[in-house]
Amino acid sequence: MAVRVLIVDDSGFFRRRLSEIISSDPKLQVVGTAENGQQAIEQAALLKPDVITMDIEMPVMDGITAVRRIMAKQPTPILMLSTWSTEGAKSTLDALDAGAVDYMPKRFKDISGDQHIAQKKICQRLIHLATSFHGSNTAQLVNTTPTNVITTSRSADNKAIKLIAIGTSTGGPVALQKVLSQLPASFPHPILLIQHMPASFTPSFAERLNAQCAIKVKQAQDGDRIEAGTAYLAPGGAQMLLKGSKSHPHISIQTGEPDQTYRPCIDITLNSISQFCSAETLAIILTGMGADGREGCRVLKQSGATIWAQDEKSSTIYGMPMAIAKAQLADRILSLADIGKQLAELN
Amino acid sequence: MALDTDDEILQDFLVEADEIMEGLNEQLVELETNPKDSDLLNAIFRGFHTIKGGAGFLSLESMVALCHEGEDVFNILRQGERTVDAEMMDTFLKVLDILNSMFEETKSGEYPSPADPAILNHLKSYLTPGAAPSAPPTPAPEPEPEPQPVVEAVSEAADNDDITDDEFEALLDQLHGDKAPGSSADVTSKEEPAAVAAPDNDDITEEEFEALLDELQGKKKASSTTPKEPATAVETESKTFAEPEPKESEVKKEPEPAVVAASTAPPIAAAKVEPAAKPAAAAKQAETSVRVDTSRLDEIMNMVGELVLVRNRISTLETAIEDEEMAKAVNNLAVVTSDLQTAVMKTRMQPIKKVFGRFPRVVRDLARSLKKDINLELRGEETDLDKNLVEALADPLVHLVRNAVDHGIEMPDVREKAGKPRTGQIVLGAAQEGDHILLTISDDGAGMDANVLRQKAVEKGMMDEESASRLTESECYALIFAPGFSMKQEISDISGRGVGMDVVKTSISKLNGVIDIQSEVGKGTILSIKVPLTLAIMPTLMVMLGDQTFAFPLVSVNEIFHLDLTNTNIIDGQQTIIVRNKALPLFYLRKWLASSFNETERPEFEHVVIVNVGTQRIGFVVDQLIGQEEVVIKPLGSMLQGTKGLAGATITGDGRIALILDFPELMDTYARRGY
Repeated sequence: MAVRVLIVDDSGFFRRRLSEIISSDPKLQVVGTAENGQQAIEQAALLKPDVITMDIEMPVMDGITAVRRIMAKQPTPILMLSTWSTEGAKSTLDALDAGAVDYMPKRFKDISGDQHIAQKKICQRLIHLATSFHGSNTAQLVNTTPTNVITTSRSADNKAIKLIAIGTSTGGPVALQKVLSQLPASFPHPILLIQHMPASFTPSFAERLNAQCAIKVKQAQDGDRIEAGTAYLAPGGAQMLLKGSKSHPHISIQTGEPDQTYRPCIDITLNSISQFCSAETLAIILTGMGADGREGCRVLKQSGATIWAQDEKSSTIYGMPMAIAKAQLADRILSLADIGKQLAELN
Repeated sequence: MALDTDDEILQDFLVEADEIMEGLNEQLVELETNPKDSDLLNAIFRGFHTIKGGAGFLSLESMVALCHEGEDVFNILRQGERTVDAEMMDTFLKVLDILNSMFEETKSGEYPSPADPAILNHLKSYLTPGAAPSAPPTPAPEPEPEPQPVVEAVSEAADNDDITDDEFEALLDQLHGDKAPGSSADVTSKEEPAAVAAPDNDDITEEEFEALLDELQGKKKASSTTPKEPATAVETESKTFAEPEPKESEVKKEPEPAVVAASTAPPIAAAKVEPAAKPAAAAKQAETSVRVDTSRLDEIMNMVGELVLVRNRISTLETAIEDEEMAKAVNNLAVVTSDLQTAVMKTRMQPIKKVFGRFPRVVRDLARSLKKDINLELRGEETDLDKNLVEALADPLVHLVRNAVDHGIEMPDVREKAGKPRTGQIVLGAAQEGDHILLTISDDGAGMDANVLRQKAVEKGMMDEESASRLTESECYALIFAPGFSMKQEISDISGRGVGMDVVKTSISKLNGVIDIQSEVGKGTILSIKVPLTLAIMPTLMVMLGDQTFAFPLVSVNEIFHLDLTNTNIIDGQQTIIVRNKALPLFYLRKWLASSFNETERPEFEHVVIVNVGTQRIGFVVDQLIGQEEVVIKPLGSMLQGTKGLAGATITGDGRIALILDFPELMDTYARRGY
């Protein structure tokens, strides 16, 4: 059965373009359109779409409010189509806070120079969101009772951890907030954050995390010394690597190559870590589509690192954590709430 | 590289962008009166945002760049970080003009040329929080980086001491003097954003800017007169949807899941679902529109016209047969035909808003340049009329509104002395009255003095003093429509430019429209225009001249008398007849139009049809009156094309050909000037 899509945009022009693009994929079916947030809520209740594309700027009711209301009533994967400007980043992150699962640029050119590829990517993303979305997801997530700790690996839990690296993609912004906000300001380790995100978003995102968390969060800069109690967010459009001497590692930011699928890429960062302090590293893979992080974890694991993965139930998109679990790399598979909790207990 | 103007996506974008631009135009002007209205600010922000989105989709980069800046500024404004001032308004309106010319370029198949960097930088300068709010744009916003460190250094040196605007400007003047010799002139003209924003190499003076805009406007006109008219989308709006019309089901392409879902919902839920379903269905309707080429609509209209003629013919035949069943069928046909006619007419209807929408801007700009305070009120914007009429009315209305602003409303001081509020009021109204549309332009300005007009007419040599003194007041007012009659001593560039009021009258008359003026000195003027709803099908009065049938456009017919024509007077060599104590010129149409005319055997009493021609009332003697009939105007055959005084021909119910009269032209051709 085709994935049923609801399109929300105040521009008729855009609704029609999106309808054309989405209808061109036989696996997708446009079941309705709405011109504003109010209509979106009504249509969503009526049509029960599998996935919704949502504009942010709309009359009557904006997209963020609509997302919040829809997620409260009937959790549906919502893909924000937003402007990738600094302003757009803020409102997109607000929309993610409100419960939207993912976002894509409204300017399809930003996805790919080739229009057909861009259109295909939108369709693929919608199908993926609709099929792998977990209703009980992050935004409205109340800290549930801790799930059982599943220890799949032989590696001991009492290893001394000195560095933490967290990689995530779709659903990550909210997941990272949940995890990092549980850490005390006195958290004794540095954290490297790799969140798939465009360059225009990461500065706003780092600022936002910094404001929400007790620990310090900043966008990583080339040459940054890694310090305890600080999280370094990999800048969008580039790669974050650990460089320098073993005793004094520092962050190196390298321009991303256009042919790299992910910029930042979790595998690249994890690989660079493996040159330093594998055994004392804890790598955590949170919600996200695809399998970025698996190879990096594999390398780290071989040299003794600890790997945690988010569990299926709490993952917005159970893709990357699943890849870790399937490859038998995870030492622990935890719910999002537990990841934060157990991370805070590290010393 | 050229754009494919036949591309559906491009056309779709242009149609939507046009609507947004119209909205922006109004909203910006409204913003001037409500600078803090957050709904308005949001709406304008969204307007730029949506155009940017569409332009981005089509890779119209220069449009994206301009809209992006506009969007950014309005984002700041809507967050209350800045408040709009008059100077900003001017800039925004200029941005709108540039956007407009970009659209024109796009429409003609070219990628829009990039906006002047000066205006982009100027917009950017609003984003700098340091810029003093509300103060006129002191050259503080620096597009060029180089002078900035100096400014900072200086202001740091000044330290705690608040630097006054004047000092600051002086300082900047000085700086510019040093940095860019010869550009100080630009800095002094800081009223002009264009000049200020580009103090360096590429400064553009206001005149140059104006010239550029004019040039662009000129281009726009040229391109819009190209024969290839872009197809217009006929949005089946919710209004038309509310009525059960056959076309509805045809227009709908997609199924309506919303409605289906509502109706299949269990009965218990139905009550709950219904209110939600309604707006949902409305959303669906807005989406269910198809683009139809106007020429296709014309074709349909034409065929419906033919059908009307056939119906007329059958009705006439039926009266001879006197068969009851036949009569029923014919009646049925008549009903269906007129329903079809109305439905087709409706597809061609557009709200007068299309034309009215531009007036807030026109009035605002004019009032600003004339230093008058004017408030424009629009009434009945949603009144629908034929698309062709909407277009044809645009120019005359602009002229009349300009006239009201320029000549009607007095200067604020004068108004105050006269005990009136400083702000003048102009009301532009539209309403449907039966089968015609009534447009009114009223102002509470100085009004017109009939005596002044009489005197003027004599001065201009249009008539002698005696005839002038005999003019009624409304005839005096009508003088303003006479060629070469200008009310102002000196010709201002506002309404004294280009075409005169006579052109307005001619174009209104061409639409079978009638103009009426009422005025009172010191109180104001009301100008009303009556035009038929549509141009394609016309209600007429059929008359006979000799053995020929002629059709008078019914909208022009005022009244019909059966009069004793032995009792007429000759005034100024013109035969006249007194009707209710008013002397009306009298003409024998058969003298002009019928081949056989026998002067001697005339009955005492004859039929006189009083016709409105422009602002005048004229009596025409006809031989026989047949009655009212709806006719379809057919152009005259090539042999007769261009015959003066004839608007076209039509086929009457009895299968004969009737010529449709064009009174303004008829009078021009046959009667003496100055009838």
